[in-house]
Amino acid sequence: MNRLVCTLVILMLGCFASLVLATEDKFHFGEPKKDALFLELTKELRCPKCQNQNIADSDAMIAVDLKRKVYELLQKGNDRQQVIDFMKQRYGDFVYYQPPVNPMTIWLWLLPILFVFVAVAGIVMTRKRQPAEINNEQLAKAQAILERDE
Amino acid sequence: MKKVTLYLIPLGLFLGLIIFLYQGLFSNPREHKSSLLEKPMPEFVLPDLMDIQRTYNQDVFLGKVTLLNVWGVWCITCAIELPYLTQLQDEGKHIVGLYYDQDIDPDFGVKTVERVQLEVTAKLNQLGNPYAFNIFDVKRDLSLDLGVTGAPETYLIDQQGKIRLHHIGDINPRVWNKKFAPIYDTLVAQ
Repeated sequence: MNRLVCTLVILMLGCFASLVLATEDKFHFGEPKKDALFLELTKELRCPKCQNQNIADSDAMIAVDLKRKVYELLQKGNDRQQVIDFMKQRYGDFVYYQPPVNPMTIWLWLLPILFVFVAVAGIVMTRKRQPAEINNEQLAKAQAILERDE
Repeated sequence: MKKVTLYLIPLGLFLGLIIFLYQGLFSNPREHKSSLLEKPMPEFVLPDLMDIQRTYNQDVFLGKVTLLNVWGVWCITCAIELPYLTQLQDEGKHIVGLYYDQDIDPDFGVKTVERVQLEVTAKLNQLGNPYAFNIFDVKRDLSLDLGVTGAPETYLIDQQGKIRLHHIGDINPRVWNKKFAPIYDTLVAQ
């Protein structure tokens, strides 16, 4: 038990340390709120060159440039949405990890819901049918046995 | 009969899934539509690479069909496409370079302009010079506004200064004939 607590504490400290290290880069605002927003944005913006990394994780030149741009924009007083829009204007929806809802992407949300409905409907239907069928069959069998015995 | 159709439903769904996933095998995840298509060139004021005193802005593209090629001497694929670009230029295409350097980090700045010019001249003497002139994207701001992800990339810009095509990767005869030539030819014919 003690060991478990110890491990947990160490893990938590580790997380905290990495957070501190991350902000200790060359980008800091002197405003905790903006620092947090910067961290959040660089985690949600996707590196256009290195497909499956966010710009916070990537050391590609383009990611560094984008980070610097985010920093610049935030310092100029842009808010979260303005920074995202700025990036989307240049790099497309691709650059932001949260996909927009449009006729093409709506299926990402609709399909799972549809699937659940179809599955529930299927279960309900098969449940209803099965007992009746089995009962008839059993009745017939029972009847046959009865008749044979007579 | 009813049972058969019931069994066909999952089979149909399965086939649909197979087709969807199968075509996914051939889609290129790196290819996504540039959001700047059909939009005018972003505004900029940047110096000529070889003559730093001289500056260009977005109006420099008006009146001509231009291929704007993003490149650098440090970029290996760019070196590979240089001879073919030179060939295109020999055929009369107007090619402008958008040059950026990796070593000039706006935060540190280590390389002098003279040094960059020397490297560029050496490279172009060696492999051919397709460029009418080179715009020096000192801090890579124009590249960012253009949605450049790396080098080489090439933009096709029409006479009105609008971006008509954005190609990521090198230009070779196959890419030119398949992707650029149809649009380029109709633009020039106008």
